[in-house]
Amino acid sequence: MLTKRVVVCLDVRGGRVVKGTSFVNLRDVGDPVELATRYELAGADEIVLLDISASAEERGTLLDVARRTAERLFIPLTLGGGIRSADDVGSALRAGADKVSINSAAVVRPEVLTESARRFGSQCVVASIDAKREGSHWFVHVKGGRERTELDAIRWAAECVRRGAGEILLTSIDQDGARTGYDIELTRAVSSAVDVPVVASGGAGSLQHVCDVFQHGGADAALVAGILHDGITTVGEIKDAMRRVHLMVRAA
Amino acid sequence: MRVTIFDYGAGNLHSLAKALDTTDVSLAIETDPVRAVETDVLVLPGVGAFGAAAERLASGRGIMRDAIQRGLPTLGICLGMQLLFDASDEGAGEGLGVIAGRVTRLNAARVPQIGWNDVTPVAGDALFASAPLSMAYYANSFVCRPTDELAVAAWTTHEGDRFPAAVRAGNTVGLQFHPEKSSAAGVQLLHAFLKTGVTP
Repeated sequence: MLTKRVVVCLDVRGGRVVKGTSFVNLRDVGDPVELATRYELAGADEIVLLDISASAEERGTLLDVARRTAERLFIPLTLGGGIRSADDVGSALRAGADKVSINSAAVVRPEVLTESARRFGSQCVVASIDAKREGSHWFVHVKGGRERTELDAIRWAAECVRRGAGEILLTSIDQDGARTGYDIELTRAVSSAVDVPVVASGGAGSLQHVCDVFQHGGADAALVAGILHDGITTVGEIKDAMRRVHLMVRAA
Repeated sequence: MRVTIFDYGAGNLHSLAKALDTTDVSLAIETDPVRAVETDVLVLPGVGAFGAAAERLASGRGIMRDAIQRGLPTLGICLGMQLLFDASDEGAGEGLGVIAGRVTRLNAARVPQIGWNDVTPVAGDALFASAPLSMAYYANSFVCRPTDELAVAAWTTHEGDRFPAAVRAGNTVGLQFHPEKSSAAGVQLLHAFLKTGVTP
């Protein structure tokens, strides 16, 4: 039986790991290769390197970071940020990524998901969706959360899967960095609408929050970042808490 | 010991190459299937689609098949395991046909299977006896259905579908999961294959 995954996200800018609140107020938290390998030892099931660089110059370093990370990391590595085309997906895979997440580019041209899945297989194509609540709906935002679209997040998730995405990385913009819990309703709505794994992201502040998104949100994986980087908890403590509520997890 | 990874196209070989590149190994990455078998251990890596891989294999298929059947220790990972079989529903073209059977789609609601799942070895398999591994990372939509279950070295289950986590035919082993992505225990399994895979 598949276990529930704890995925550690490292936001990378200019080759360094940073952390911010609601995509702004960034702080430096360390070297990506060091952090990634340390989290593998701690029991992380996967690592995501998300490039949040503002410029092409900063972005140039990401493939190099991926290459150096892949040589020392023996758990799956997802690369995201600034991926525009199936060729970009190919470059990321060759640099050492196992999966590649596509966000804004899929909104602009959804065919990029299909083209990437055809060339490299659905298992490496992750549709990354940033969603913001408006009443009882969630709208997809792009460009690092700065630009609203007219797309309904739940319908968009289903379309991404139809077009070839093998996994959904679902971030709640409202909850991101707030540490008041994942958006359970959003996660549940999307995980019920698609038949591929859903990675819930944004809002982890406590062990209970992580357990909740699995138990009540139907997530297959939970993305955590800040609470680990700031030493509030550890991957081991998260997995112990998950075990206590009878969630299947991998032992480190 | 010469270890050769047959590179049949797209995909990440970094972690696999790093995991195999131990002190007594001379590692090569070879895109030509005929030259790939001039080695002590052959590795068929695991990323891509069956049709495209079968096409890249076609020109050297007979030679590679003969080399494996003469006893060349071969490790197939994920798609590389599936290439050991006759054919696949995923795409056109012929596999190596070293193990009789067909590759079919996972019979489950959630496909692809992505994540850590069980590995339950069949009693007595030398590889898993020397490097115990109870859980590994999978990323697959298709699975192998050997004609003869005696080829199965380990089982796993996704939803209700039970399928081989590992198969063996002589010196040839196929793994549906990614040992190079299964942390320390996975890397140890690769090292164990380099040791035990070579002895008959």
